[in-house]
Amino acid sequence: MRGAIMYKRLLNIYQVRNGLIHTQNTRLPSKKCKEKERFAPVIWAMGRARPLGTSSIFFSENKESSTSLSEDNEKRPEENEANAEVNNDGQKNTKINEGNNVSNATLTSQLETEPVVKLEDSKKFDKTKTGKESLLELLGAMKVEVTTIRKIRPPKIPRISERPDPKPMESVQSMFQHATAEVSQQRETLNPTLVAAASAAASTLPNSRQAESELLQQLRKHEAVPDSQRRADGQNIGDIIADMKVGKKQNGRSNARPSSQIRFDEDGQGYTQDRGITGELDAVRTRKSPFTSKRLNIFNAGAEQDSLSDLGPTLWDIDLANQIVQATNQTPRNGFEEMIQWTKEGKLWQYPINNEAGLEDEASVPFHEHVFLEKHLDESFPRQGPVRHFMELVITGLTKNHHLTVQQKQEHIAWFRDYFQQKDNVLKEAEA
Amino acid sequence: MASSCSRALRHHACKSSRILRIHLQNSWPNRSFALNSAADQQPAVSSLEEIVIPKKKTWSKEAVLQALASTVNRDPTASDYRFQDDPYLAPRTSLDFKLFSLSQESGRNAANYFINKYPNYFQKDYAHPHIPCLMPETLEAQIEEASEAALAERVQLRKVKAAVDLYDQLLQAGTSVSLDVTNELLELICFYGDRDPAQENVPEQRTEETPQEDVQDEPQTKRGRGPRASDLLKAPWKEDNNAERIFAHLSEPNTRSYSALIRGMVKYGAYSKAFSTYTDLLNHRLTADVHIFNALIAAAPEAQEKYNEKWELIVDLLKQMAEQKVKPNLLTFNAVLKALRRCGALGKSQAFPVISEMKALNIDPSLASYSHVLSIFYKIGAPVQGQKDILQEVMYEVSGKSFTSQDPDDAQFFITAMRICLDTKDIEQAYRVHELLGVGENWRLMGNDSRQNIYYARFFSLLCLMEQVDVVMKWYRDLIPSVYYPSSNVMTDLLRALDTESRLELIPQIWRDIKTLGHGNRQKLVEDLLALMARETHSQQVQDSLADCALDIKSMYSTGDRGKVLMSWTAGSLSNVISVLLAAHRRSAAWETLKLFKTHNRVPSADLLNRFLTCVKESGDVDQAVELVKISAGFCLPDTHTLIQRIQQEFQLSEQHKSILSDLEIQTFNSD
Repeated sequence: MRGAIMYKRLLNIYQVRNGLIHTQNTRLPSKKCKEKERFAPVIWAMGRARPLGTSSIFFSENKESSTSLSEDNEKRPEENEANAEVNNDGQKNTKINEGNNVSNATLTSQLETEPVVKLEDSKKFDKTKTGKESLLELLGAMKVEVTTIRKIRPPKIPRISERPDPKPMESVQSMFQHATAEVSQQRETLNPTLVAAASAAASTLPNSRQAESELLQQLRKHEAVPDSQRRADGQNIGDIIADMKVGKKQNGRSNARPSSQIRFDEDGQGYTQDRGITGELDAVRTRKSPFTSKRLNIFNAGAEQDSLSDLGPTLWDIDLANQIVQATNQTPRNGFEEMIQWTKEGKLWQYPINNEAGLEDEASVPFHEHVFLEKHLDESFPRQGPVRHFMELVITGLTKNHHLTVQQKQEHIAWFRDYFQQKDNVLKEAEA
Repeated sequence: MASSCSRALRHHACKSSRILRIHLQNSWPNRSFALNSAADQQPAVSSLEEIVIPKKKTWSKEAVLQALASTVNRDPTASDYRFQDDPYLAPRTSLDFKLFSLSQESGRNAANYFINKYPNYFQKDYAHPHIPCLMPETLEAQIEEASEAALAERVQLRKVKAAVDLYDQLLQAGTSVSLDVTNELLELICFYGDRDPAQENVPEQRTEETPQEDVQDEPQTKRGRGPRASDLLKAPWKEDNNAERIFAHLSEPNTRSYSALIRGMVKYGAYSKAFSTYTDLLNHRLTADVHIFNALIAAAPEAQEKYNEKWELIVDLLKQMAEQKVKPNLLTFNAVLKALRRCGALGKSQAFPVISEMKALNIDPSLASYSHVLSIFYKIGAPVQGQKDILQEVMYEVSGKSFTSQDPDDAQFFITAMRICLDTKDIEQAYRVHELLGVGENWRLMGNDSRQNIYYARFFSLLCLMEQVDVVMKWYRDLIPSVYYPSSNVMTDLLRALDTESRLELIPQIWRDIKTLGHGNRQKLVEDLLALMARETHSQQVQDSLADCALDIKSMYSTGDRGKVLMSWTAGSLSNVISVLLAAHRRSAAWETLKLFKTHNRVPSADLLNRFLTCVKESGDVDQAVELVKISAGFCLPDTHTLIQRIQQEFQLSEQHKSILSDLEIQTFNSD
């Protein structure tokens, strides 16, 4: 839920950046919210009159959440700017970079923060005006604001201050910011007043002519941003992202700094270059990987070869398996894994539990072989009398004994057969 | 009485059965994991085909246990599973860990040894069904007379000397031995280099040759090969040994005989001989098998001197493989990549074509292949500029995949990748490497305990270098000590990380861990810690805990294990302890510590004494101030003079004190 709200909020910001709903933005992030807020005081009053009304609570909650979120919106850019400032101070001395592609990122990160701050100021009076008037007014104010930023910051333009962000969510967010900021930037550079402002800014600097030309050069570069990105103006975020991919492909790798600008840390080993947006877009880019390079072309892929290794495992195979086992970690991490190990070694009763485990040689013996044992008594035992009676009891016992195999049962009967044959004369004497 | 008892019992039984039934009903819908694992076993059925429901599902015997095992997560607060039986013996230091795991292993080995040595005492088979692995193995030859069966039995039992003797007897008696058995004998001789095998290799014992734990943190990629290399040194291939002799007597040696001989030669370092045997094989119009080529490729870097010659030899061998229609396997290409590690710059240009060739042949590269690629591009100690993308590309290639071990070198991957992350200080890739470790059964490929230690040492050092302290501490609690016992160097790294973000309030906690980990007597670490504590002043609460910690450290100095004093005080560490104590206003404890300068023949700095005097002045204890000057004079410090002046100015002195001070002043003046 909260995530959804945040997303909507972000969407609003970008729409605002694109100059759609400037006026009500900071206070009332969307028309829907605006209506809600207009509506809310009414209900609110009702709520006061009847404290038990649930609807009032519902709306007031909505109102609260919307306002708190818009506060968030105001805060976040300021934080961004603060971060950017810190980065500037820290790295200004060590890094001098002429690469305009890279500086785009930082420049826009400054740019994108300013309009919102400005909006905050303007919101005091815009309540009284209609949306359209204030929108126009704000557009005008924003442009001036942007140029003044330029004025203040020309020497800081060339630098990289983006640190790759570990969290993917944030990186996506910043990506959006870049995209929209670039879009808004193009619009601004089209304005001739900007050129005038740039020259005015340059005149304040010691080397005015050079500064002016540099500034204008920067502006022209922004104009040269591909059409594909311009088209994204006013469209939904999905389109912007899609266009970002295209843009990425063009300048993905080329924005690496020249090799003369390797930075070193204290122990003399260089840090890796900041990947910035390149690193963040790792997942979406379609690039040429060295893993898809040409092959040696020695072997034929389709060729079926003979195999003479059907002799079973040799000593070397056993040794290889042994080495692999020793190289890898085979210790169990928990009780179940230990039980798996025991199962493989044959020490544990196997799952799923089977009562006939270990009785595999009996599996093929049918049931009646176990139960109907009378056929074994036929030939060598007397037809009747006490011996016969005794043996019938024996086979009844054997029938019910599930511990013995059929083989063992037969052996058992055979033992009695031998016994009674040996004692034959004794039995005859007793006339049994 | 009895009836009431039985009634209660019946009631109870009734109740428990009811509960059981309820439980069963509850757990019935929760069988989804079992179904999942069943689905895993089935081959993937495409949705278009009609689903055939099997009448009976045959389970593999581990399926249930695997499903259960997958529900267990690692507990960062528990020690390794091996030690959970006996909490008393849960290891707290890396030395304990090594000792306990080794003793467990060696206990098993001892039991096995006795069972196999005296099989006649272990004949009773208690188990039903029968468990073969619990019964003694037959290690003695059963067949006494000289026959081919007896020879085969001796080969089976790996008795090299006895088998060779019997073979000679058979030949002298004029009995012919079949080619298969002779080949097996040849394999046996070549495998063991014509000597009887030593005792069975035991997994744990092999790697534990370095008892010093700090050594393990050194980057050593040759570790895995260490034992084999030492085998190789002490046992070279002997000229005209039994293998060659028997081979020479063979009337018609086949490929398998050659294979045995060549592999043996390569294993025992007779590389040129292996190649000449291979030419001999070709002259006999036989074709080689894949094992011969694998061995020869592994030997190629040894046989040639120059990089390009090595590579040409390898390419030549591969082409001969293709000609002879021998299908290469994973080990072939891994051998090629491993050889490329020793081909200098050629390796960098040829590594990726080799990988592409593997893929074209539908051989999936194993982790060893990637590990070799990484080693080719990132040499140890070489500058890391320029190739940063290779690790990224490799990680892009492997991330999310679950690997099975197919090559002994697979276990090199994780420590190699982590070494590169540490060298390039690339925390982002380090996280990806660590993430890969969690996929499937990949953790098994990290290797044995010592490799694990190296891996985590590198990972944690990198975290200390690059991450915020809070993140570092999160990992610290997660990894230590459940999977990793850090060395004192790594603890120094951690202290440095605390230092950079000035989170010194964590020090007492870290010190407790240091003591538990058995590094409390590492002089360098303890001195670093003291210096860190003494450098700045903090809020009163923090200062108090630091002072407690300092006193604890001080006690570590005085009492060693078994009365043995392991650390000696230095002037720096003593003055650091005193500074911490003074900052926490523990004057009496500081005073006690100050006396240690005398007993350990160390000289305090003038700055320390000045600070001490300032502290004494706050309490206005004149006696102690004068004592301080006495101590200073006792060490003949040149600054005694200024101390005396300070006391004279800042304190209310009695006559007695004044006279003592003037005496001291004269004394120092004279000594100057």
